[in-house]
Amino acid sequence: MTAGLPVAPPDRRPEPSPPDDADGTSLCVFAVCAAAPDGPPVQVAGAPGHAEGGPLSLLPLDGELAAVVQEVPAARFTEEALRRRLADPAALESCARAHHAVVTAASAAGPVVPLPLATLFADHRRAHAVLTESLPRFRSAVDRVRGRAEWAVKVHLRRDDTPPARATPGHGTVPDAVAGSPGAGRAYLSRVRGREQQRVSRRDAAAAAAQRVHEAASAVAAGSVRLRPHGQEITGKDRVQVMNAAYLVDEARGAELAAAVAVVRAEVAGGGIEIEVSGPWVPYSFTAEEQR
Amino acid sequence: MTQLDHPGAVPASYAPGPATTNLADILERVLDKGIVIAGDIKIDLLDIELLTIRLRLFVSSVETARRAGIDWWETDPALSSRAAENVLAEENRQLREQLAALERGEAPGPDGDGGRRKKAVRSGGGGRGRRAEDGDGT
Repeated sequence: MTAGLPVAPPDRRPEPSPPDDADGTSLCVFAVCAAAPDGPPVQVAGAPGHAEGGPLSLLPLDGELAAVVQEVPAARFTEEALRRRLADPAALESCARAHHAVVTAASAAGPVVPLPLATLFADHRRAHAVLTESLPRFRSAVDRVRGRAEWAVKVHLRRDDTPPARATPGHGTVPDAVAGSPGAGRAYLSRVRGREQQRVSRRDAAAAAAQRVHEAASAVAAGSVRLRPHGQEITGKDRVQVMNAAYLVDEARGAELAAAVAVVRAEVAGGGIEIEVSGPWVPYSFTAEEQR
Repeated sequence: MTQLDHPGAVPASYAPGPATTNLADILERVLDKGIVIAGDIKIDLLDIELLTIRLRLFVSSVETARRAGIDWWETDPALSSRAAENVLAEENRQLREQLAALERGEAPGPDGDGGRRKKAVRSGGGGRGRRAEDGDGT
């Protein structure tokens, strides 16, 4: 495909329709990207956007930046409709993947600043007006991520196989014959304490491993950010996430990051510590102003 | 790795990028990250936060159920066409009931105490955590 996205002028819809116009359309903005007239055309090959929307197009903001937009049926994208739809896991997944696919496809042509899922405007004119107010933010974000990609690194600690200590009598923890004899309580407590110490030392080892992974990755990266660790609902109950981080890495250095992490992985092997690397991602985590 | 393929879903082939584009990774990026611009249609961030929690519960349920060999909803076209209706929420609730039963080592029964379960889910995972701790690895 050689043709880029069609360019929609901001005055394409001279009479803005209210967002609650049931028969009309709203404008969904996926991302802002570098789109200089002499640069490569922005394409979104293979990413159709939201299933119920029209074709994707480019809304120029100034000479260098443009928004990737799609007209969507207003009735399906009202606050109420979105709240209802996104509460359905299947619809949320489909929306999230559609958004992610457009953002990722657009990044092939150059730096992309993603907007959050379901950023919606009444029409092209409104989108243009609001987005141009934030042009300085977009410019600095585009400069920050240009030529760079995001890599995600997660560290998990596999749960110990030892069953959790239980003080419940008759639960099999303490044999009945021993339970009645003197010193049984002390022995039991010492076992519990031993398990607790083991648990703490495994935690400490995992935290230390996470720190080493972070140092190794940071040495290659231009920036890093810690994300909220995933809960048990995602990791599964057999492991705990001890680190969820993202790194901003020069495009040419992605393999270097993976190699640096692999070195740490080999060093900590056998301790129940799992280190996962995924990427390259569009630098979602590095486009907001405040970076920790 | 589209988990719930249904009409209107974006097939996995439309998602370039890292090979491991699991849903949780995507969601934490498309919901939380990027430059936030106040659009004309406002979605409460708190609502989205709740959605992700709910989805995390669901993702977990899907995984648990898959391991147990339950995957009927993936091939049931009726489920996705009713997506906009409350019917699906009801299905999900029942699914959670059955999964809870499975995790306790019982056979999946029909319906349980709906009100109580709904409350547990809303409370944000505390109940799940306890259940996971008490689970005997079924």
